[in-house]
Amino acid sequence: MAIHKEEIEHLKDLARVEFGEKETEKLAKDLGEILGYAEQLKEVDVSNVLEMTHSVDLKNVFRKDEERGGLTHASNLANAFPEKEKNYLKVKSIL
Amino acid sequence: MTIKALHEALKNKKVSAREVVISYLDKIKEKNGELNVYLEVFENDALKQAKEIDERIASGETPGELWGVPLAIKDNILIRGKIASAASKILGNYVASYDACVVEKLKKAGAIFLGRTNMDEFAMGSSTENSAYGPTKNPREASRVPGGSSGGSAAAVAGGLAMAALGSDTGGSIRQPAAFCGVVGLKPTYGAVSRYGLIAMASSLDQIGPIAQTVEDAEILFKAIRGKDEMDSTSLEIRNSKLEIKKIGIPKEYFSAGGVSAFGGGDSLDPQIQKTIDEIVKKLSQNYEIREISLPHTKYALACYYVIMPAEVSSNMARYDGIRYGVRQDAENLAETYKKSRGSGIGLEVRRRILLGTYVLSAGYYDAYYARAQKVRCLIAEEFKSAFEEVDVILAPTAPTPPFKIGEKINDPLTMYLSDIYTIPANLAGVPALTLPSGAQLVAPHFEEKKLFEVGKFIEHG
Repeated sequence: MAIHKEEIEHLKDLARVEFGEKETEKLAKDLGEILGYAEQLKEVDVSNVLEMTHSVDLKNVFRKDEERGGLTHASNLANAFPEKEKNYLKVKSIL
Repeated sequence: MTIKALHEALKNKKVSAREVVISYLDKIKEKNGELNVYLEVFENDALKQAKEIDERIASGETPGELWGVPLAIKDNILIRGKIASAASKILGNYVASYDACVVEKLKKAGAIFLGRTNMDEFAMGSSTENSAYGPTKNPREASRVPGGSSGGSAAAVAGGLAMAALGSDTGGSIRQPAAFCGVVGLKPTYGAVSRYGLIAMASSLDQIGPIAQTVEDAEILFKAIRGKDEMDSTSLEIRNSKLEIKKIGIPKEYFSAGGVSAFGGGDSLDPQIQKTIDEIVKKLSQNYEIREISLPHTKYALACYYVIMPAEVSSNMARYDGIRYGVRQDAENLAETYKKSRGSGIGLEVRRRILLGTYVLSAGYYDAYYARAQKVRCLIAEEFKSAFEEVDVILAPTAPTPPFKIGEKINDPLTMYLSDIYTIPANLAGVPALTLPSGAQLVAPHFEEKKLFEVGKFIEHG
């Protein structure tokens, strides 16, 4: 199963990742092989089977709506920010 | 020295925590250059923690079971104030702003952290060759891989560079390296251990678990880290189960010629591993009834995993964009900044899985791949359930082959993936599994880790 180059380019855009030229070539081959392997799933009769959502039975529970300590490490988060100018956190303009 | 032995020695004042930590730090200095097990060693913190432990013992306190135990922590588990890079460049400068639930528990229990260990980037790989910081070598044979993705943690324990360690397991990442390095590794039941503070890979499959020298040590560590945590809504308290083990099941598909491991072109089960398992079966038969069982759908487990896992990966990895933390690569506009930061900061295997996940979740492909895989996953889980109506514990191999050579499989992703063929089913079904140093793997029903320890100890001591 092969994946077209245009499709790979579209996926790269969707996933917001870059690949080098050689990497892209190999990628088409690797993805094709992996998806080809996944084709086996088509052999399985899954009529009347539900999609699994959790491997362990869980029930939804709610905790009491009580006030408690929030983030105390806001400065850590600001410190982790890659780009800063004076007292501002810097990002590219969106518009 | 085991956790159990250290505890006795501390209690009887035969040894100090400081002496023990220093002996490990010396071993790390001697070996880490060659093996590349630790990405960072917390020498000063470890010595300081050891001093505190010694002072508390000197003041008359009775030491707890984990006091002074020098541990290695996988680099995807957060320790407040320390870098947690998941062996990726994009998180190379990321300092954890809080403790993972397991780390908080271990700190309170008096354990000491020696350092953070190497791994496949974001836990994606089976050999620790996918680390952005170079491969880890197998301490038992340096030309071979230690397995992965928790290769650093397993190698640390096997090489005497830590008394025990924490790893994480999404498709075999604790058990396969444990088998490759000849140590004990446990993947707990999904939900038995909180994932709060674990850098997520595939959230419906990830579990943190111990790597140790003995089954008893793994049990001690597991008991220290398990339990419900409000910060992980999928975590659960272990229900008390009856400990009655009579029958051990052997899945015939795992061993037959052309069976699971040969399915889809993988290596068939190595004769030496087959022999080891045969010997264990013989030993077990002295105490338990051995019964052949059938798990016909497990041959689809790997295909199922390689749809579900990348789907979850692609969504979990979206947060690494170089905007709020991590490394940012500047470009003309926002979209290009994302692409460049992720392109240069994230390694090839991780990007490959992001793309694969994006593909299987795309409109038009979702039903054919993701929905179908989740249905097959349901069948695999059901199969385990019915098997456990017949037997109490299942015995299987962990990996189809002994450790392979560094570089041997790195250019062929599918071949690399096939080395996890025996470990993936437990993640898909959420059941606990224990790997022994011999490479044997025991699987039990949800929340019945106790059975694994019991049978594991029987195999260990006879």
